[in-house]
Amino acid sequence: MRVLVWIAALAVCAHAEHRLHALGVTTKGWVVGAALLPGGVFIRQSSGEWVNAGYRHPLMTALAWLPGEPETLYVAAGDGVIRIDAAGRWRVLTDETVTELQDISAGPGGIIAFGHTAGFRISEDRGQSWREIAAGLPRRYGKAIRIDRTNPDRIVVGTETGFYVSSDRGRAWRLAGAAGFQAMRVEQSPHEARLWLAVTQKGGVFRSTDGGLTFEATPRDPAAGRNLYDIAFDPTDARRIAVCGWGLGVLVSEDGGLTWEARHRGLPRLDVWSVAFDPDRPGRLYASVHEEALYVSEDAGRTWRVEGLPGSIVLKMAFVPVRGGAR
Amino acid sequence: MRRAAAAVLALCLAAQSALAQGYEERRRRLIEKTARVADDRLGYGHIAARLWLREGVPAAERRLRELLEGDISGDMFWMFPMTAISYLDRGQLSDATRALIQRSWKRYYPFRGDTENHWLLYYTSMYLMAQKWPELGGEAWFNGKSSKENMEEARRWIEGWVRLTTTRGQGEYDCTHYIGVYLLPLSYLAAWAEDPRIRKQASMMIEWVTADFAAESLDGIYVGAHARTDDRQVVEKAAGVSSDFAWLLFGQGRETPPYGGYAVFYAMADGPEPPEILRRIATDRSRPYTHFEKKRTRNRWRFHDELHGPVYKTTYMTKDYAVSSDQGGVLQPVQQHSWDVTWRLDHPEGRHNTLFSLHPYSGMTELEAYFTFSPDFGTEAVYRSKVTYDSPDKLLGGSPYERIAQSEDAVVALYDIPAGTRFPHINGFFSKDLEEFEEDSSGWILCRGGRAWIAYRPLAPYVWKPIEGGGRRLFSPYLKNGTVVQAASADEFPTLEAFRKAIRALKLEFRLEPKPRVTFRTLRGRTLEFAYGETPRIDGRPLDYAGWPAFGGPFLNAKAGEPRLVMTHGGVRRILDFRTLTVLEEKIPAPKQAGRTQGD
Repeated sequence: MRVLVWIAALAVCAHAEHRLHALGVTTKGWVVGAALLPGGVFIRQSSGEWVNAGYRHPLMTALAWLPGEPETLYVAAGDGVIRIDAAGRWRVLTDETVTELQDISAGPGGIIAFGHTAGFRISEDRGQSWREIAAGLPRRYGKAIRIDRTNPDRIVVGTETGFYVSSDRGRAWRLAGAAGFQAMRVEQSPHEARLWLAVTQKGGVFRSTDGGLTFEATPRDPAAGRNLYDIAFDPTDARRIAVCGWGLGVLVSEDGGLTWEARHRGLPRLDVWSVAFDPDRPGRLYASVHEEALYVSEDAGRTWRVEGLPGSIVLKMAFVPVRGGAR
Repeated sequence: MRRAAAAVLALCLAAQSALAQGYEERRRRLIEKTARVADDRLGYGHIAARLWLREGVPAAERRLRELLEGDISGDMFWMFPMTAISYLDRGQLSDATRALIQRSWKRYYPFRGDTENHWLLYYTSMYLMAQKWPELGGEAWFNGKSSKENMEEARRWIEGWVRLTTTRGQGEYDCTHYIGVYLLPLSYLAAWAEDPRIRKQASMMIEWVTADFAAESLDGIYVGAHARTDDRQVVEKAAGVSSDFAWLLFGQGRETPPYGGYAVFYAMADGPEPPEILRRIATDRSRPYTHFEKKRTRNRWRFHDELHGPVYKTTYMTKDYAVSSDQGGVLQPVQQHSWDVTWRLDHPEGRHNTLFSLHPYSGMTELEAYFTFSPDFGTEAVYRSKVTYDSPDKLLGGSPYERIAQSEDAVVALYDIPAGTRFPHINGFFSKDLEEFEEDSSGWILCRGGRAWIAYRPLAPYVWKPIEGGGRRLFSPYLKNGTVVQAASADEFPTLEAFRKAIRALKLEFRLEPKPRVTFRTLRGRTLEFAYGETPRIDGRPLDYAGWPAFGGPFLNAKAGEPRLVMTHGGVRRILDFRTLTVLEEKIPAPKQAGRTQGD
């Protein structure tokens, strides 16, 4: 039955080039001891309806897919890496040695890497086997990770003490920036491979223009002192980037992350977990507002309206290419 | 009046009857009570009880099918009753129902959880269900792993947990509630695992966990510092699952109510009766003793270099009361209880037989260290289920700004709270059930609980605030603060006046600036010197944290790091050796059972 729902979800939205996935849980109104409300992977249909595809799951934090293979998703979840194949079959790829995964990234050549509570792991065989790569990091809380899409040897990770970079797939690390700040998320521009952005707890936004080797604090950062949760590069506009956080709503930059403008008119509260630009609709931006709903803007955040998933906490959104659609 | 007397008489008779009953009788009685539920109200536990009894099974099976065809929830708390049902089936359920059970492990995705008790339930259930269906491929399981993979993963985690626990101590140590969540899966493995090594290991761990409780049981009440307890159990000490087990295993205290949770499943899994030596350790309070334990913290994901930190426990036990503590600090998130005096009552149900103080800490540093919560939603996420977590009035939880030292039945708790800390005050819990309460002009607060005299010396000014449900809270809004407590037995002091005289004669020197510091000559003639942030000294000698035993005392002894527990009582010694998975019991010359103090 779950497989059928999954296939139907894919079929209905197959005409689009990407489909929006949201990882989250419905928490508003839930009381301890009650059965779980919908949670896990939500897929937006072309009709606008959301389908809670597959099992209900209480903790999913990020998802990734290998380049050219978007039909198979790799989800960072509370109980490991879950591989979800095109038929909607779930398989946990990790074991008892990792828990509460925080982030996941996939790169060329079948490389997948994730952050967990006590480090980072990498697989070079599509998740069949894993190698711990946190040795050499001063603290190992694996909050954020990205594999360089142009150079799979280079990995940037974020821990409780800042961001670190490795040029040899995690065998050696050096501090890249945001020293002393807890990392929250790091992303690489889909347009310019040397441009990276990283966000933190209290430290604001950090920017790299040398491929993640060094990150510098952004001047006049309106997010300093706040907690930022997510970053979205606009696939349709090389200079547009959005970040979101708690008490901040959504900040949008139109100059590649040098300056930021608050754009939250129409949002019911300023506590936002995740943002995502629609690659198929220029200017369309989604924001997940804490226990309110998903919101959508057609003008890059200047105005907002309710989109769906009422009462949810959506920790991460991603537009996944549809098989046969855009890559 | 007559009715009250009759009730007291009934309770006395019930208690006597519990002692007179054997373990098997108590066990059966518990299961029978559980099974006696209307057919349309049966839950998984009731169904399991009927299967155990082989009574009322058709209705139970119908109800089981209804439950499994509906919306399944509960994660590992669904897994463990399902595992019991599967193993208690013993030919009573139809093939169709068995197939339905098997399909439910594909249809429903139980989450593994984030605590050790969750994981022990989860992996025990996975191990046993995979054992039941050894040939299933990944397509038959919710997680896509084959039976063989699931069983092997579960075995690795369980064996790793046993190694860690028997060398570095339990992470969720001495829990009034979660002791049941550990004994339950261990009883399953001891009963139903086909691998004799797993069975043996589990049965030894049952003894290990039971021994841990027995040495700190005051007539069935789990005393003292706990990794986790809850808002009710921290004051109503007999309300814990631990007391359910004290009744079931040792015949102490109250009878578990029908469907008493974990004890019932332990009983249904043929959980073993403890060996006689453990019953004696749990019940012999003929002489006071000091008992030491070393445990470990819960997993610390952030802000620490080591995943687990040490917990140093001291417990002083008498027949009338116990005093117990850890070293202070945040050792567990949210539900830690660091020290108290607990006194014995003939009928402790509904009574608040304890006294303690704490700093009501609430903060993201604690939560982020132990959880993966986001910084902005973490506190709210906790207090949605642990409702008092962010309350200034709370009586539960550790604080990074509390340090504790204990010598026998004297405790010093010191507080050095940074300015700007949320809830910058001390709460002292004074029970509704205290008697002969007086605030002495010397500064000591004197009171009696049961047959325990307690002297409590606040080191900073305070006021009293009422507690909902009875009793009062000592509220002291001073950042540099402290509590000195000395307990004694009514056997030693026949009157409050005699106790007052003795307490007043004790030398107590303290200052709070620049940091709290106390020198206290205890009722037992020891000099306890303690400054906030420094190693306590008893009679001039610093406490030996480096040499702290995993267990140390007249009844239990184990070196930290060595998975070998020696239980001693009277002329018998019983040794659990987890390196060889052997149990040795032998007669020895009667040991001295005098109390022992760190530094002796």
